[in-house]
Amino acid sequence: MLTDLSDCQRDTGMPSKQPSRFLPGSRILFLVCCLAAIGIGPHAVAQNEAVPPLADSDRVDFASEVLPIFEAKCYSCHGPAKQESNYRLDIKQRALEGGDFGNPPIVSGNSKESDLWIYVSGEDPDLIMPPSGSGPPLTLSQVETLKRWIDQGAEWPEHLSGHGKEGITTDHWAFQPLRKEGPPQVDDWPSDVFPIDNPVDLFVAERLQKNSISPSPVADRTSLIRRLYLDLHGLQPGPDEVREFNETSSSKAYEQLVAKLLDHPHYGERWARHWLDVVRFGESTGYEVNRDRANAYHYRDYVIEALNQDKPYRDFVREQLAGDILGVDEATGFLVGGPNDIVKSPDINLTLMQRQDELADYVHTTSASFLALTVACARCHNHKFDAILQKDYYALQAVFSGVQHGERLLKNKIPEAVRVETETKNKQLASALAKLEEWRSSTGKPTAESARLLEMVNAKLNSDPFPPSQARFVRFSIKRTSSAEPCLDELEIFSPDHDKNIALASLGCISTSSGNYANNPKHQLKHINDGVYGNNNSWICDKTEGGWVQIELPQETLIHRVDWGRDRNEVYRDRLTTDYEIAISLDGENWQAVSSSASRKPFLINGKEPEDAFLARLSGKTADTARAEYQQVVQLRKRIAELKASTPTGYVGQFGAAQEIRRLHRGDPLAPREVVVPDTLSVMGSLGLDEKTPEPERRLKLADWMVDASNPLTARVIVNRVWHYHFGAGLVATPSDFGVNGARPTHPELLDWLAWQFMENGWSLKWLHRQILNSSTYRQTSIPRSQPTKVDADCRLLWRFPPRRLEAEAIRDCVLQLSGKLNPKAGGPGFLLFEIDRENVHHYFPLKEFTDEHFRRMIYMTKIRQEQDEVFGVFDCPDGGQTIPQRNRSTTALQALNLLNSKFMLQQAGYLAERLRNEGGATPEVQVKLAFELAYSREPTNAELQDSVELIKLHGLDAFCRALLNSNEFLFLS
Amino acid sequence: MQDKIKNSLLNRRGFLGNTATGLSSIALTHLLSQNRLLVGRTDEVADSKNPIRPVIDPENPNRNRAPHFPAAAKNVLMIFCAGACSHIDTFDYKPELIRRDGQPMPGDSPITFQGAQGNLQKSPWEFKPRGESGKMVSTLVDHIGELADDISFIHSLTGKTNTHGPGENFMSTGFTLDGFPSMGAWVTYALGSENEELPAFVAIPDPRGTPQSSVNNWGPGFLPAVFQGTDFNAASPIRNLVRPDRISLERDRATRDYLKRLNERHLEKFPGDTELAARIASYELAARMQLSVPKISDLSTEPAHILSMYGADDSENKLKAGFARNCILARRLIESGVRFVQLFNGAYQTGGEGVSNWDGHKTLKKNYDVHGPILDQPVAALLKDLKQRGMLEDTLVVWCTEFGRMPTFQKGASGRDHNPSGFTGWLAGAGVKRGYTYGATDEFGYKAVDKPATVYDFHATILHLLGLNHERLSFYHNGIERRLTDVHGHVIHDLLV
Repeated sequence: MLTDLSDCQRDTGMPSKQPSRFLPGSRILFLVCCLAAIGIGPHAVAQNEAVPPLADSDRVDFASEVLPIFEAKCYSCHGPAKQESNYRLDIKQRALEGGDFGNPPIVSGNSKESDLWIYVSGEDPDLIMPPSGSGPPLTLSQVETLKRWIDQGAEWPEHLSGHGKEGITTDHWAFQPLRKEGPPQVDDWPSDVFPIDNPVDLFVAERLQKNSISPSPVADRTSLIRRLYLDLHGLQPGPDEVREFNETSSSKAYEQLVAKLLDHPHYGERWARHWLDVVRFGESTGYEVNRDRANAYHYRDYVIEALNQDKPYRDFVREQLAGDILGVDEATGFLVGGPNDIVKSPDINLTLMQRQDELADYVHTTSASFLALTVACARCHNHKFDAILQKDYYALQAVFSGVQHGERLLKNKIPEAVRVETETKNKQLASALAKLEEWRSSTGKPTAESARLLEMVNAKLNSDPFPPSQARFVRFSIKRTSSAEPCLDELEIFSPDHDKNIALASLGCISTSSGNYANNPKHQLKHINDGVYGNNNSWICDKTEGGWVQIELPQETLIHRVDWGRDRNEVYRDRLTTDYEIAISLDGENWQAVSSSASRKPFLINGKEPEDAFLARLSGKTADTARAEYQQVVQLRKRIAELKASTPTGYVGQFGAAQEIRRLHRGDPLAPREVVVPDTLSVMGSLGLDEKTPEPERRLKLADWMVDASNPLTARVIVNRVWHYHFGAGLVATPSDFGVNGARPTHPELLDWLAWQFMENGWSLKWLHRQILNSSTYRQTSIPRSQPTKVDADCRLLWRFPPRRLEAEAIRDCVLQLSGKLNPKAGGPGFLLFEIDRENVHHYFPLKEFTDEHFRRMIYMTKIRQEQDEVFGVFDCPDGGQTIPQRNRSTTALQALNLLNSKFMLQQAGYLAERLRNEGGATPEVQVKLAFELAYSREPTNAELQDSVELIKLHGLDAFCRALLNSNEFLFLS
Repeated sequence: MQDKIKNSLLNRRGFLGNTATGLSSIALTHLLSQNRLLVGRTDEVADSKNPIRPVIDPENPNRNRAPHFPAAAKNVLMIFCAGACSHIDTFDYKPELIRRDGQPMPGDSPITFQGAQGNLQKSPWEFKPRGESGKMVSTLVDHIGELADDISFIHSLTGKTNTHGPGENFMSTGFTLDGFPSMGAWVTYALGSENEELPAFVAIPDPRGTPQSSVNNWGPGFLPAVFQGTDFNAASPIRNLVRPDRISLERDRATRDYLKRLNERHLEKFPGDTELAARIASYELAARMQLSVPKISDLSTEPAHILSMYGADDSENKLKAGFARNCILARRLIESGVRFVQLFNGAYQTGGEGVSNWDGHKTLKKNYDVHGPILDQPVAALLKDLKQRGMLEDTLVVWCTEFGRMPTFQKGASGRDHNPSGFTGWLAGAGVKRGYTYGATDEFGYKAVDKPATVYDFHATILHLLGLNHERLSFYHNGIERRLTDVHGHVIHDLLV
C-alpha cells in the first residue's frame, strides 16, 4: 500500500520525485543525521571531473538554476514544512541569517566562507548535505552552480523568496474538513438477516457488500441484554431484567433498554474509566517518591457526572482546559492528572528538565486526547511523519506555561452557607481591626528607646546582666512568644567569680518547670541545663504564655548574669520568647525580679511591633476592654480559617502567570532559542495570541478553538473513541493517533457522518451511543463464521459483534455484583487497597483484609501509580503512567492464579455460596440454576446441571462458586 | 535479513490461517498490533530498519521464538545495584584521585543532586591488581575482583538523570519517564522463553524490599501484560501460586477439571476463538507453574559446599545469606531456561538514603561496609558457579546500577553525590570479551572521556548479544514505533568476542 508514503510526501510539501525521508523506521535524529559521515565523499567527485572555468558571461540565474536545486535537494528538510537545525532555505531572509550553527550560510561573493557551499560540496566529510539516507548528494555540476552563484554575489530576487509566514499544508485525511454527506444507498441487501435500522447500518452494509461478506443475524435477546449491560454499565443484568426483556412484546424494547441503561448512573461509572485511561489519570505523583494525591478524586467524579448528565462534549473539552474560568474548577484535574517528578535538587539541569517534562505531559495529553495527534513527538525536532512543527509544540507549551501541579480551592463547590458566613465574618473582622487600630494609636509610640539598654531579643543568644546578688533559685518566666509554645535550648547562669556556666545539671543543679511539651525526645526539661545547644536538645513549654522554667543551684551563690537562647546553632527562629522576666530567690518562695524584656528594645518583626504589643501599654479597665476586643479578632480569624478548610480543595492544578517559552534546540532546556508565542498547530490555523496574552485566556482560546465547528479532528476523535469502546476497535484503529503513522479509517464516510451529526446533535454523547447501539451492526451475533474470517479475520468490516474479555475493573465489579457484596456508594474519596508508609518516598503495602468500603466499584479505587491491585492489576490494567487509548488484552497464568487462589476471590466465592443458599435454597439443583441465571443470564443445560450438582455434592458449594468466577462465559463480553 | 522479515510475515499470515479453524480473535490482532502491519507496508520490507514483529501464539505467548540473527547469548542475568553503586569505590581505579585526595576538584565546582561539592576524596578502600589482566579492583568487592579476568568492564557509561527513580527507569526501560516496558519485557516479547512451565521473566527483589522505582523495573509498560516480570525471591513466593491450605488437592483438582469442562462447552459456541482457548490454556500453564516454581525455589537440594560458596549459610550476616539465596535462585532459574532474570541488590522499602541501598550521600564508608559484603561473595559465587557449570557459554551476566557517584565528598558530609556523567557497568559471559576494559572516565572518575557510552549503547549491546536488532525490535504505541533504545543506541562492538 502506497497511500501512507504518498500522503506523507504531500503533507510535507515535498516534490513527489523526491526520495522520501519518511520511510517508517528511518527514525534518525536530525543532528545525528546531519553530522553523519557518508561514504560518498566529495573528494572523489572532485578528482573525477574537471571544474569548468568561471566566466563573467556565465552568470547563474537564480530562478532557473539555483532554485530548482534548493527545491530538489534542500526543502524537504529546510523548507516550509521543516527547518532542521532551525535553518530555512525558501525564505531569502532566513536563508541568509542561518540556523543553529551560527555561521553565515551564504556569504555573498565568497563561497569558501559560505557554510551552504561547504556543506553541499562536502569540504568537511563529517558535515555533508543532504545527509546520508536523505537522498543522493548534489551532482558536481550542481555544487559548481551554487559556488558560482555565491561567488557572483548570491543574487536572489525578492519575488522569488517564500513569504515570511511559516506556511505548512497537508492533505492527510484527518486534517481535511468533514464531508457532510448522507449515507450511501444499498440495494439487494438481506434485510431479513440484518435490517437496516439506521444510517450507521447503511455505511457498514455498503462496505460488507463491496467485499462480498454477509452480515451476521441479530443476536438473541439474552445475548443483547448481557452485551448492553456489560458494555454500558460494566455489570451484569439481573435475572428479573433478563426475564422482563425476554418476555416483553414491545417492538421498541431494545431501544427502551438502551435509553434506560444510558440514564442510569452506572453508565457514567463505567465510561469514565475509558476517559481516565485516555488522559492518564492517577492519584499519586509516580516517579521516585510516588506520594498519594488524596483529593485528586474530584476530577474522577467530574468525569462521571459529566457523562451521566450528558454534558455536551464541547463543554466537556472546554472545561477540562479552562474550567477555572468557566466555573467548573474540578475539571482542570485533567491537566495535572499525570505523573510529575517532585524530587527537588539544587542542580538546575534537573529542575529545568522536570518542568519540561511537566509541560510535555500537558501538551501531549491535550493533543493526544482531543486531537489524536502526537504533538509531543515534536519536542526535539519537527514531527517525523505529521505536519507538526517543533515550533508548534512550543506554541502549545506557551498555552500551558502558567499551569503548575498542585491543589486549588474548588470555588464552585463552596456551600452557600459557607460562602455567606465567610463574607460576614470577613466584614466583621475588618471593622474589629479598625477598632483595634484606634486603640493602638491612642496608646502612643512604644517606650522611648533610650530607656532600653539591651538589644531586641534574638533567637541565638540573649544576655541579661544584673547587679551581683545572692541566689539559690533562678526562674525564667515567659509572657509572650513570637509563635507557639516557647523553646529554650539552654538556660545559663554566671557568677562574677569566673565566666563559667554554673547552671549545669552535671554540677548538681536541678531544673523544674511549670509544664513541658508532650513526649518528644528532642524537647525535654533535662535539655535546659545539659550543656548541649541546638533545637535537638532543647526545652519547650507546654503553654504559649505564662509558663516558666527554673534552676535550683546546689547552694546559695553570688550571680550576676543569665544567658538564654532559642537555638544557638541558628537553625530555628520560631518559638522565640519575646516578653519575659527573670527572677531570683533564696528560698524558692520569695522572688525578686532582676531583669525582664522591659529592659530590651521592643521586639519587632520586619520593623513592626507585634499586632497586640500595644495591649501591654494599657492598664486598668481600658486594658481589659482592649484585650477582649483583641480576642474577638483572634476568634474571627480562627473561624475564617475553619471555613476555608471546610471548602473542598482538589488536586486540579494551579495557575500562575504565563511564563516566557522558547523553542529548545533538540529539546535541550540549556539550549533555548527564539521566543514562541502561544498558539495551536500551524497547519490548523492560529489562535491569534501574542506573548502578552494573559494565562487563562491562552487556555480558553485553545479550548474554544478545539471545539470550533471547523476543527476537523475533535469530533472525529471522540466519535471514534466511543466506537472503539463499543466494538473493541475504532473505525480508526489507533484512537490517539490520527496522524500519518496511525491507521486509516475503515469507514471514512461513516466516521465523518457520525462526527458531523454528533456536532449537529449538540455534541451529545448519549445521542452518539444511541446511534451506534440501536444499529443492526451492533446487534449482530458474536458467533464466528469461517467465510468472512478468511477475508477479514479481525472483523474490521463488522460482520459480527467482536467478543472480548472484560477489563480488570469490569471483572472485579461483576465478581462483587455476583457475590452480592457490591457496595453501590458513589463518588467522593476513593478506597485505598494499601496501607501507606508516608516517608519521603511513599511505600504501599497491600491490605490483607477487605471491608465493605473495598467492595465499591473499582472506578472508586484510589489509583496509585506503579502499585496495582494485587488480583486485577495483571489484567492489563494501566497505572496512569502513560496515556492509554486502547488496552492490551493478554492472557496469562498469573491472571489464572489470582482468580483461583487469591484471598479476595476466595472470600467472594464464599459470599456467592452464601447468597445461593439464602436466595436459592438448600438443594444443589436450585443453587446451580440460580448461579447460572446470575452469572450467565441463562439456565444450565442438563449436562451442565448434572456436572455442577455432582461437583457440589462431592466438594461443596464453595468449590462450584470458585469455578464459576473463573469461567470464560462470566468474564467475556460477547 | 530480508528473507527473515519475509519469513516472519509469512509465519504470521500462516499462523492466522492455520490456527484451529482458521479464526483469530481480536486479541491476537491486538498482540500483533497491529493494524499498521496488517494494512500493508509490505512494499517497505526491504528497509532494513523496519520493525520485526514477533509472531505470538495467543495460547502460548511465551513460546520460544527465534532471534533476528544468530545469538551469542540465550539468557540474561541482570544484577541491579539499587541506590547508585559508586564506581569510584569499586571498579574504576583512579590513581590521580588518590594523589590529589583532599584537594579541591579543578575547574568550576559542580552543583549536583544534593548541592555543593567538598574536596576530592579517594576511596576508603584500597585497589589491588587482579588476575592475569592485572585489573585494579577495590577491596570492597574482593571476591568479584578476583574474577576480573572473566569480566568486560565499561567505565564510560553516561546517564540522563541524576535522580534515582528516573535513573532506575532509564537503566531498566530506556526512558527516564514512568510507564515504558522494561528490558526483560522487551526481551521476552521478542524471544519468549525456553521453559514454558516457568515465567519467562523473573524479577528477584532484594531481601530488604523493592528498589526505588519498584515494579517499573520489571513492568510491561504498554506491552501486553504477559511479558511483565514475575517478582518473587527465595524468601517470598509468587503471590497466589499456592493452593490455599483449606482446599484439598483433590478438591482443587476437581474444581479445575469442572472449570475446564465449563469452558470447553462454552468454546463450542465460539469455535476457534483463540482468546477463549488461550484462557483455557492459561489455567493449564498455571497448574504446571504450581509444580515447577516451588521446585525451582526449593534450595534444600543444593549441596552444602554450594551454599557456603555463595555465603547462604552465613549465620553472622543474615542479609548476605538472604541475598546469596536469591543468587542461587537466579542460577536455578537460568539453568531451567528462564529467559531474563533481574536480580536486585539494595532496596528502598526498608531504609532510604544509603541505609538499605548504595545511596551513600553522607556516610559512605559506614553504608558500604554494610552493602559491600552482602553483594560481593554471593555475586562472585554466582559467576563462578555459572562458569563451572558451563552456563557462561550462553548466559550473559550484566551488572549495572542507575548511575555513578562523585569523586568528591559532598560539602560538609562524608559521602558522595550522584553522578550520571561517568560510571561503570560490566558484562560477563556469552559473546563478551574476558578481562577487558572499555572506555574511561577522566583522571578523577567524574566524567566519561574515553569512548563515552550511553545507557542506550549498553542496551543495544545486550540486545545484540541476544541476536536482536535494537532498531527493529519495536512496538507501535501512541503513534510511535517504540523501542527500548528510543531513537538512539549503538552496539559496542569492541566488547564482543
